Order: sequence, then C-alpha cells, then structure tokens
Amino acid sequence: MHGTDQLSAVFSALADPTRRAILAELAEHDATVSELTAPFPISMPAVSRHLKVLERAALISRERSGKWRSSRLEAEPLREAAAWIERYRRFWDASLDRLETHLAAVQAAERMTGTQDRKA
Amino acid sequence: MDAVAPQLAISRVFDAPRALVYRAFTDPDQVAQWWGPIGDHIPRDEMEFDIRPGGFQRWTEVFPADPSIRVRILIDLTAVTDDELLEGIIHVTGRLPGGFEPFETRFRIEFHDEAQGRTRLEIRQWLPPGMASPSDGGWSEAFTKLDALLARDQRGALAHEVG
Repeated sequence: MHGTDQLSAVFSALADPTRRAILAELAEHDATVSELTAPFPISMPAVSRHLKVLERAALISRERSGKWRSSRLEAEPLREAAAWIERYRRFWDASLDRLETHLAAVQAAERMTGTQDRKA
Repeated sequence: MDAVAPQLAISRVFDAPRALVYRAFTDPDQVAQWWGPIGDHIPRDEMEFDIRPGGFQRWTEVFPADPSIRVRILIDLTAVTDDELLEGIIHVTGRLPGGFEPFETRFRIEFHDEAQGRTRLEIRQWLPPGMASPSDGGWSEAFTKLDALLARDQRGALAHEVG
C-alpha cells in the first residue's frame, strides 16, 4: 500500500454502493462502459464518472480494445484495505488482552494494600 | 454521536470499575504496562501526558528485539470527560513494525458502567480522518459485501490459471 492518501482514495471509492456493484460486475468479467451501464439504472456518463473514481484509487485498470475501453478489476488495493483494518483490529485485541491482565494485577495489588490498611 | 461511520468498532467488557479502567488509559505508568504489541517497551522518561481537552499524550515505543524500530505516538486530545470519554487524533510516526505505514487516525473511547462493577469499553476508530463513509450503512457491512466479491474474484483468478 502506498500510504494514507492511496488508502483514503480506496476507502472513498468503496464508500459508494454503485461503485461496489461495478466492482462486483468486474469480478465476473472485464467490461466496457456500455456493458457496465446495462445492469444499473444510471446513465453511461454516470458510470464513466464512477469508473474514473475507481481508476484513481487503482481499483480498476482500463485498456483500449478496438474502439472501446475495457475495465478490469484490480483486487490488490481491495485486499490491502481489508487487511489494513484487520491489522488495527489485531493491534487492539492484543493491547486489550494485556490491559485485562494489567487491570487484574492492579486490583489484586489494591486488595492486598486494603487488607494491610485494615490490619494496621 | 458521529455521523461518519468508523472503520473499526470494538466493544469489550473488563472486570474492573470504570474509574480504574479510565486510569489505565490516562496514567503514564499504567499505559507503559499494557499498550502496544508484544515485545515492545515504552521508556518512561519519554512519556508526556496532559489529560484535558486540548491536551496530549506522547510516548515512544521501542522493540529490544529490533532496535531499528522506533515508533513515536502523539495523541492530541480533543474531548476529555473524566472516567467517561477520551477523544482525539493519534499521529503515529517513525519506523513501524508489521507493515504499518506512518498514519493519523481519529479515535473515540467511551467508558460505560456494566453490572457487577464491570466496565464496557467502546472503541471507535476512523481511518484515515475526514474520509467519506458508506452511503448505505457502515464499513463492516460494506466489507462483508466486498468479502464475497474478493472470494469470487479469487475463484475467477483460479479458473484463469487453470484455463
């Protein structure tokens, strides 16, 4: 992954349900703008705008085949975005496991001090 | 609360009273005990805490097993309510372990009472800050849908290799 800006572009692109649906179509097969417009209740220019956002986020690549440009899914940034969230979940899980142990130790120490105080 | 969906939402109950859990986040001696991945060390003399709205928490993480890794954590606190809430921006810089890029993230940690003197921690994280959220739900829903997409794409790639 290429830093926060790239990640931000990927997440922003994924925030839109139509763009996720376009990616789902492209997971099945490469497609032109007109092929991608058919399943959606939106215009070709609208689909083109979505494709530009996806291309900027490197989630698709586009190549000219004859007269039309064909879009292809690039799954790697998608995997990296999912993996990125997963890394932070693991970070918190590990830290909070340690916090749990720490809190138990602090309370055990306080109970011992409390006992001594009462004896004194 | 917040209109923008967090990328990360963690809820966890601790068998300790709320004030004690809050102290574990705001007392430098205690943070040094539990924060961070296994194998890290937080030098006490490099910790600076000023717990109030507009205040900060700053420390360094070192890894004795790999001296080249040195992580600097700078937390700007935007909202603080004693025993209830910590909110702010975490800036992480330096050389990071585990493929982490230097980054900024907005966070909100709520401390709630639970039955029998326990505490429920609600951690929310927005990565990176200021990003759009899904217009049709939260990120976990979005990624559940994307998981299906990824699984299908992998089958496609496999079929491609076989064919």
